[in-house]
Amino acid sequence: MKTRFYAVMVWAMLLAGSAPLIAHHSFSAFNTETEKTITGTVNRFEWTNPHTWIWVDVQENGKTVTWGVEGMSPNYLSRRGWSKNTFKPGDKITLTIRPMRDGSPGGMFVRGILADGKPVTFTATEQ
Amino acid sequence: MQWSAAIAVAFLTAGIVAVHAQNNFIYKAPTPTDWAALAKLPDFSGVWEVGFGPPAGGARAGGARPGGAPAAAPGGARGDAAARGAGAAPAGGGRGRGGGPQLTPAAEARRKELQAKAGNVQDSPAANCLPPGMPGIMGQPYPMEFLLTPGKVTIVIEAYQQVRHIYTDGRPPPDDPDLKFHGTSIGRWDGDTLVVDTIGFSPLTELTRYVSFSPKARIVERFRLTDPDTMSIETTITDPEVLAAPSVSTRTLRRHRNWTTAEYICEENNRNSVDSSGKASIDLTLPGKK
Repeated sequence: MKTRFYAVMVWAMLLAGSAPLIAHHSFSAFNTETEKTITGTVNRFEWTNPHTWIWVDVQENGKTVTWGVEGMSPNYLSRRGWSKNTFKPGDKITLTIRPMRDGSPGGMFVRGILADGKPVTFTATEQ
Repeated sequence: MQWSAAIAVAFLTAGIVAVHAQNNFIYKAPTPTDWAALAKLPDFSGVWEVGFGPPAGGARAGGARPGGAPAAAPGGARGDAAARGAGAAPAGGGRGRGGGPQLTPAAEARRKELQAKAGNVQDSPAANCLPPGMPGIMGQPYPMEFLLTPGKVTIVIEAYQQVRHIYTDGRPPPDDPDLKFHGTSIGRWDGDTLVVDTIGFSPLTELTRYVSFSPKARIVERFRLTDPDTMSIETTITDPEVLAAPSVSTRTLRRHRNWTTAEYICEENNRNSVDSSGKASIDLTLPGKK
């Protein structure tokens, strides 16, 4: 019950634009007013500070475009159920992101769905 | 011969005087009694997290402020601002979304000028991995670890891999401190409360976004346990040149007994940056191609 309350609270903060991500930098490069969904294959998962990056190969008009999706730090996420193996190269995934304002193939992670249908969020599993 | 000896003595004496002027407190090795005395102090040991995000399984509401609002929301209410700002909501503030410290007219004019210069697309120097310094470093979404040793409290802060050194050995504050990101901190125990008085802040640190400290700034923090795994930090910032009234805020930390402090090398893979005008950008160069 409490867990659910905090999950809701965190999402409320994320939506309000006051997510913990601001610890390092602002959202200003992302369009926080909108969401975009991309589906593709994991090229690489950078489990690095200050932010994790999920690189996803997406087929767009017969071409492969590699999208970069920024997430919270491994420090933050490892305490909430993520690991360096949460996304593995070759995994088919669908990600919901806040896209770059300038239209570049990148964005900020909002939530994801693995090929087996398992959802992934910043608060996926609490430790 | 006699002349050179006299000159040598003069130099040595001058050197000793200079050293004493800089650092007149001599470190003494702690005795068994000094170590035993630590056991009488409140147990601040272990890893603590400011009230961001969901708590550890079953933990209590460490993030809640007395008014019921989540601690992270006031701290980071301004999406572009909180990274280097005070991180906690000042009581009685009245500026901007989510409140803010009450500034003097001159400081408010300067803040507005800098904000206008930055325009709509803005970011803080933290995007370039510059640590926020005080007081922002105490409000990061990463834990900190308290180490109590005789005459000193050391706070190991995971964010930006920072350390605060708080001397509790009775030394006086410096008369003319060098200006530092974390200032110079002198602590004392007032019963079960650690009272930390900090002065001398770098002009690169910010009291709140676009507001630097004057040399007259002072931060007093009162750390105490409110239950075995909850710590309260009341922070009072005074700065007669910048603040129209003292800025007082309270932050709650939760102890995570199953956590350790992790490595945080901001330069490891930093793809965010901000230029001198505050404009943010993100490097989407593929891994391995940078």
